[in-house]
Amino acid sequence: MTSRFHALAWLIWALAAAISLQLAPNPLYVAVVIGIATLVVQVHGSDGPFARAFPVLLTLGVVFMVIRVALTAATTHTGIGTELFTTPSFTLPQLLGGFTVGGPVEAEVLFQAAAEGFVVVGVMAVFGAFNAVVSHYELVQSTPRAFYELGLVVTVALAFVPSTIQAVVAVREADRARTGGRVVRRGRLIRQAIPVLESGMERAVNLAESMDARGFAYGGASPLDRVAGWAGFASLLALGGAFVALVGRASTVALALGAAGVGLLLVAVWAASAARHRSRYRPRHFTTADGAMAGIAMLAPIGIAALSAWGESTLTWAASPLHWPAFAALPVIALTALLAPMIRVPPVNAAEPPDTAGRRELVSDRGSAAK
Amino acid sequence: MSVDTAALLRRIPGGSDRPGGRRARPLAVYVLTTILGTAAFLYPFWIPGESLPSSAHAGDAPLVAALVGALVVAAISLEVRRGTMNGATVAILGVLSAFAGLGRLLDLPGNNAGMLFLVVLGGAAFGARFGLLLGMCTMAVSAFITGGIGPWLPFQMLALGWMGAGAGLLSRATARSDARAEVVALAGYAWVWGFLYGAIMNLWFWPFQRGGSLSWYPGLGFADTLHRYWSFYVATSLGWDAATALANALLVLILGIPILRSLRRFAHRLHPVVELVDIDET
Amino acid sequence: MNQPARGLTYSRVSFRYPDSPGIALRDVDLEVEGGEILLVAGGSGSGKSTLLRAANGLVPHTSGGQFSGNVLAFGRSTRTHRPRELADVVGFVHQDPEAQFVVDHVERDLAFVLENLGHEPQAMRRRVEEVLDALGIAQLRERAPTSLSSGERQRCAIAGALAAAPAALVLDEPTSQLDPQGADDVLAAIGRLNADLGTTVLLAEHRLERAAPLADRAVIFEAGSIVASPGPPAAVLAGYAGAPPVTHLARLLGWEPLPLTVRDARRLAVEAGRANRSDRSDRSDGSNGLDGCKPPPPDAPGEAQGEAPGELLLDATGVHVELGGRTVLADVSVSARQGEVIALLGRNGAGKTTLLRVLGRLLTARAGSIEGPGTVAYVPQDPNTLLFAATVRAELEQTLHLLGRRDHGDVDHWLAALDLTHLAGRHPRSLAGGERQRVAVAAVAVGGADVLLLDEPTRGMDAPSRAGLERALRAHAEAGGAVVLATHDVELAARSAGRVVVLGDGDVVASGPARTVLAGSLFAPQVLRVLPPFLTVDEVARAQGVPAAPAGRVEP
Repeated sequence: MTSRFHALAWLIWALAAAISLQLAPNPLYVAVVIGIATLVVQVHGSDGPFARAFPVLLTLGVVFMVIRVALTAATTHTGIGTELFTTPSFTLPQLLGGFTVGGPVEAEVLFQAAAEGFVVVGVMAVFGAFNAVVSHYELVQSTPRAFYELGLVVTVALAFVPSTIQAVVAVREADRARTGGRVVRRGRLIRQAIPVLESGMERAVNLAESMDARGFAYGGASPLDRVAGWAGFASLLALGGAFVALVGRASTVALALGAAGVGLLLVAVWAASAARHRSRYRPRHFTTADGAMAGIAMLAPIGIAALSAWGESTLTWAASPLHWPAFAALPVIALTALLAPMIRVPPVNAAEPPDTAGRRELVSDRGSAAK
Repeated sequence: MSVDTAALLRRIPGGSDRPGGRRARPLAVYVLTTILGTAAFLYPFWIPGESLPSSAHAGDAPLVAALVGALVVAAISLEVRRGTMNGATVAILGVLSAFAGLGRLLDLPGNNAGMLFLVVLGGAAFGARFGLLLGMCTMAVSAFITGGIGPWLPFQMLALGWMGAGAGLLSRATARSDARAEVVALAGYAWVWGFLYGAIMNLWFWPFQRGGSLSWYPGLGFADTLHRYWSFYVATSLGWDAATALANALLVLILGIPILRSLRRFAHRLHPVVELVDIDET
Repeated sequence: MNQPARGLTYSRVSFRYPDSPGIALRDVDLEVEGGEILLVAGGSGSGKSTLLRAANGLVPHTSGGQFSGNVLAFGRSTRTHRPRELADVVGFVHQDPEAQFVVDHVERDLAFVLENLGHEPQAMRRRVEEVLDALGIAQLRERAPTSLSSGERQRCAIAGALAAAPAALVLDEPTSQLDPQGADDVLAAIGRLNADLGTTVLLAEHRLERAAPLADRAVIFEAGSIVASPGPPAAVLAGYAGAPPVTHLARLLGWEPLPLTVRDARRLAVEAGRANRSDRSDRSDGSNGLDGCKPPPPDAPGEAQGEAPGELLLDATGVHVELGGRTVLADVSVSARQGEVIALLGRNGAGKTTLLRVLGRLLTARAGSIEGPGTVAYVPQDPNTLLFAATVRAELEQTLHLLGRRDHGDVDHWLAALDLTHLAGRHPRSLAGGERQRVAVAAVAVGGADVLLLDEPTRGMDAPSRAGLERALRAHAEAGGAVVLATHDVELAARSAGRVVVLGDGDVVASGPARTVLAGSLFAPQVLRVLPPFLTVDEVARAQGVPAAPAGRVEP
């Protein structure tokens, strides 16, 4: 599955959109961002298994929002808001919180909660779009060499998923075969879970031999490893110190220590990456197009931040006093920078990537199930 | 190269690049990351009001916490990958992560249980360090499978990593008792973590909502924050987590003994012990 | 001692696995010369897998255990070099085509070894292209391995091992999980590699019909040591139970030099016929001039049946199955009577497995009926999908337990029938492949079904296991049951089956007595091609009045 942009470029885009959401939580602007995300998925979404990520995450966000809104509206009674309706109320026992559930439902509370929940929907939508358009293999490949083994675990795991599903199907059928085609429910879980697990573990052992035979973990420890280890340790100490400073209300010290911690961690990652002797086969390079896309996307949060510093008032919206959210052109213009992925639009009748063709064949092969 | 006739019985712990006695730093790193990670999770409880400019920015807190979580994950990853990350570790981690990651898709009432119980059993079978790795990788794989990569991921990885590590420690503690006692202990542990996991993830989403009596803003006292969060938790996810916890415990009870037995057969592959015997002694 | 830097040298190698009390390798001395193909033959559990893994240090470094002696791989000792340090001189290929891919993408997986060794990007590109061409898989480069056929997958795995241009390639039963077409492709590729690139090949195989002609030398392994020193394959394999049938045939009839292929055997048969004709007058009984040899009547049923078949146990008529929008079986009719052993032959994808699944009531047909008083049980292809219990005996008892039956000695009966009694207390997963398959058959058969449906039961089985299985199936048929075997193994069909049904693209292409159907078809067993109308070596032996050698025994 090849994506039109580098995985890192997509990540920057997603982060830019998420930050913009945080800086401009006005429901109208959030809606704009969600709309942009939807458009990006439509245009750049692949047919891969992650295409569903967008609607799934979006739905999740909406469900979350509905629950939170209901909860907040039911438990918050300021007494000064506009009453919409009243529900029967009861007070929870002290053990469960002692709050009053029910009672007058106020419009301000409702809309405020809805607006705040809507931001979460926006974040979900943005990352749903990210999952739907990015090439996960490239994402793993882009991780610094320091984390190579963990990335490899993820790669191996993803490579194992199709055969695991096939194994489960085969095991279920074998279980029925044992009893002449009938299904015996008792003890079915053990009878089916163990063969799948054991076969998987045996495959893992075989794969491990194949990996070792192909030179995995070539090259021993080097002095840079030691540097990486101590730098990592020091960075943790710095971060811990930052936390302590926060508690002690010394925010500048906290900020400094935090920055030091992050810096040391970067040093550690760099050292660990340099210590490994691996090379990368045909890595996807970060091209100018990718850089352009990422750069343009970053203009959105930067623009919004500038507007906010300049005193733009429509960026946030509060429900009380009750009023329609305001709408200004400048923030929307800033947000259109998130349409950056459109600089590379696929042709209308794009040919199917060969991988998908391979997968279709697999499906029909399995369908025939004849060997 | 001629045969080394002068060599006596030599034991080579397979694949380790670290000399035996230097266990101090990794241990310190794990302890530190646990503290830091927990602090990052629990920031609503202790972050003082003045540290955040205004209540409106309280909603940024989850993203910052996510960043801290990511840093902690990175630090752990750097430390834990050194030493015995041989092919067997990667392959077994990969396979178990795939299983657990797929387990999350099962149609269980609390559907995380399919993933959680396997991480517990994996940690119990292979030890705390493996459990830590398994938890983190399972979450990463699951995020890839279900398309759920987002700012919530670092917290999920840390939470699951600790769950796996704790299972490893628990199994070491119950090493003397018989298999059934161990499984019961693990089932209890899994039950508790059914709630803990839900509570942690709920905690991450909590500060997004600023208004209302059940929401959070910086500057609340510890007791008040706890009170509010408890009510929030009861209202939103207690039922769901109770189902997850129960499913967790049941899965561990039912499948624990056979799965542990199956997994432990492969334990020697993770740390192969090689003895090179001199010919003259055969 | 002069250690040549070319080739693999084993000096007094002994090895014991960490958990097992037995010794896997006993004082092995072997030299694999540079540029040759050395074939290692031996039964399951004989230690040949261990031998192969010792070539690149997987034994002892990845497996753990006690190792003595020395293995030199092109001048590097495995005592001091880990497998990862030998990756550029020795490539390793396993028998499982599913478990050798790190990335779900052929080209990227190929590059794995090159990445590990830290090659330059340009050099990596060149090597990948070269290796894709060498194995003829360039058109598969973008595909996911899970979408390929197992033969293609194995070739990709070989490519993955070959990418770093190692001087030697070690293959542990690479074709045992493959269908005949895939096996041919893989062995042809190996032969080409050896011929074009001069790669030293160390190859272990069970089924030697295809592999033996390829080898320069062969060696037989049993119980951890070499029992037949390396030498020309035909001579070394002469007494080995797993040798090609034509070799056994020639040995029986005293033909020299021992052939490994049908072609060589035919030539010898013609010569023998000529020699005989020059000694005697015309023979009118149709024999090929073999001394005292009476061919069996052409319509006689095969050895599996002593008497006429009994009552009808299973009758499937007009079965029509559609899967995934495709018609897999179209109007197929099969029947099984008491005492019959029926072989189901056909290409990959012809519908054999589907037919068995339908008969086994695991799949419902769109049209057609399956009737009969006999109970059916289906034994799946992969025994690993069945085994979950802690001991072999428990495995069989589980089946009875699930069926609500009590054990009336059925467990012991089937353990004995399949030569598993001495393994009854072992963990099924600790057994070698052939034994595992027998356990799977026992676990299903113990349920007491009348008709046993077996799907590729001899895949990856060594000769003793095969013989045991054939005996058990014959006994089951004689006791009043029936067996339907789907298989690619033509020799198995020739030895065991009385009737043969050939499926082609969902239709029954041929059906009838084994002798008639197998003759003149693509599925003719080796003996039939050389010496019609005999189907097996045993038939020839019987016709000569010689007691057939019990299969599974290695004779000097």
